[in-house]
Amino acid sequence: MEGHSHGFGLASPSWRANLDVVVTVLIVRLKVISRYKGSLVMEMFLPVVFAAMPILLGVAVGGANAGQYFQANTGTSNFKLYMLIGACTFSVVSIMLWLVGYWIRREQETGTLESIYLAPARQVYVLTGVTIYSLLRALLAFVVSLVIGSLVFGVNLLEGNVLGAIGILMLGMLPLWGLSMLFGAFIMRVKEANSVINVMTWVVSFLMGVFFPITMFPPLLRWAAAIFPPTVMNDAMRASMLNLSTFFGSWYISLAVMFAAALTVPLVGYGVFTFTGRSVRRKEGVGQY
Amino acid sequence: MSSIIKVEKLSKTFESKERKKGQRRKLKTVQALKDVSFEIGENEIFGLLGPNGAGKTTLIKCLTTLLLPSSGKAWVNGYSVLDEEDSVRASIGCMLMGDRGLYWKLTGRENLDYFGALYHVPKAVRRDRIDKLADLLHVKDFIDRTVETYSSGQKMLVAFAKSLINDAPILILDEPTVTLDVPTARELRTIVKELNESGKAILYTTHLMHEAEELCNRVAIMDHGEIIALGTPSELKTSLALDDTLDLEGVFPAKAVEAVRALGGVTRIAMKSTNGGRTSLSIISRSGGTILPQIIEALMHNGATIEQLRPKTATLEDVFIAKTGRTLDVDTRQIVVQRGEPGGGP
Ligand SMILES: Nc1ncnc2c1ncn2[C@@H]1O[C@H](COP(=O)(O)OP(=O)(O)OP(=O)(O)O)[C@@H](O)[C@H]1O
Ligand SMILES: [Mg+2]
Repeated sequence: MEGHSHGFGLASPSWRANLDVVVTVLIVRLKVISRYKGSLVMEMFLPVVFAAMPILLGVAVGGANAGQYFQANTGTSNFKLYMLIGACTFSVVSIMLWLVGYWIRREQETGTLESIYLAPARQVYVLTGVTIYSLLRALLAFVVSLVIGSLVFGVNLLEGNVLGAIGILMLGMLPLWGLSMLFGAFIMRVKEANSVINVMTWVVSFLMGVFFPITMFPPLLRWAAAIFPPTVMNDAMRASMLNLSTFFGSWYISLAVMFAAALTVPLVGYGVFTFTGRSVRRKEGVGQY
Repeated sequence: MSSIIKVEKLSKTFESKERKKGQRRKLKTVQALKDVSFEIGENEIFGLLGPNGAGKTTLIKCLTTLLLPSSGKAWVNGYSVLDEEDSVRASIGCMLMGDRGLYWKLTGRENLDYFGALYHVPKAVRRDRIDKLADLLHVKDFIDRTVETYSSGQKMLVAFAKSLINDAPILILDEPTVTLDVPTARELRTIVKELNESGKAILYTTHLMHEAEELCNRVAIMDHGEIIALGTPSELKTSLALDDTLDLEGVFPAKAVEAVRALGGVTRIAMKSTNGGRTSLSIISRSGGTILPQIIEALMHNGATIEQLRPKTATLEDVFIAKTGRTLDVDTRQIVVQRGEPGGGP
């Protein structure tokens, strides 16, 4: 049989066509979320509420001396900013980690995942669009909730190195992206998102040391937490904004760990994701819901 | 005939875990496709006709690379579905799963534009094409509303438009008329015919025999994962000419049906209830018209009321009945009485 070459996308697509996929996916994600305005607003306020709990608890338990006790354990008396950074970082982490999973699940339910797999666009470009979207959403939520939080709790964000913290956040996004691919692959297979995410949220917030330094963990758990990329990121961001030393003692080690994670985790995540896509296709198909 | 789709001994087995109360989970396997082989010509409308669960959708999913077959091979537009998936996908416009597969929070137009991009259709081209499709399918009135506001027929039309957005040489439609009203369904079939005339090969699945008969150049009849008959509608029907079919409508007590079954020469009887408590009875006999008086006598003597009698010309449904002893329309309650030599039924 000779090829009958008409139809778009038969030749290998130009970079413009691939870019068009990324941009269109991104725009569609933004359009869809803009039609659910409530959830966006929630996302900005939630970290503030989340941080308020330990801050109020701290004031209630420690009273005027709360800062002193806290300094003994963490090296800073500014427990309000400490909690706020933890809560805001955690919200970035959860947006990034679960977005691919939620996205896969929703597309499975609406049948659009099958439609995406029907088209010749490469997965990596579709995923890039989705990732840029989650990145924008995460950064927006981070900045806005940090600013709202600083006003509510009366803390000064500019004491430490804010730009450094943003840099760390950007670097930390790469392993988060890899983890979210791993998680998305898992969701594609188990075809269930909500209950899994509910449980994982608690595990992640615990491991990350959202409200406490992970030096308080027993040794084994401490080192497990220390190589969990979101924990390293959270730790490094606090170190930067509160002028603390990092868990690893020196800046260089923390950065090296983050770079290593930024290089390896996305590769592993993308590999597992595409492998899972293929294996699900071998079995029951991506669209089965 | 130069073929644009070629399928060679394609099989697909599903494994699923069966849960029954009080028992351990068991692995259950379903063979959805068994050694299916056929070819589709580049100017053809090829029909896949079969009852629910026959394996039509599974076959389509294998051809569109959504599923990997367990064994066998297939080529679409000259590309192997096993390892040239991008080119296969680019060669096909596909409508699966009816009115699903659209984003509810987007308008019809936004949906079409999005999927156009995923098929690498340049922006300007898709803008034009969406306008043309909106005209062709008469969806202009609602194409700029979000899909959540659509009726299921409207979703179906936009899903159909989606399958045309990449103007592919092959169009694969999985029961595209299933939620459409009669005139809209007819219109859709007309459009499918026109698309075929303009050069597209079409694979069309349905469980409505009249659709297959009206539309398709060739039809493969599927049952339990196998193609049990393949040919042009008239070939398939003349293959039945030796066996005569008779359609009766009325009230038929079980005793009467048994009596007919006992007659020599009656090969199959399929019975289904129609509205108003009446029943229609399809009788296929080997001995042609000569047996008619006997059939009528057997029925009347056993309390049957015959309201209509049609010594009818064979339809594709009769082909299915002759092969399987069942009617295609599995939704209606049916009693199947089989007799005579095993004629290819399960
Ligand atoms: N993911 C799956 N896991 C297990 N069994 C499956 C799966 N998908 C399909 N099957 C089974 O394979 C068989 C063929 O299904 P298929 O959907 O191809 O039928 P169909 O001809 O399209 O029917 P319909 O007219 O109802 O759409 C059925 O018995 C079905 O239950
Ligand atoms: Mg089907």
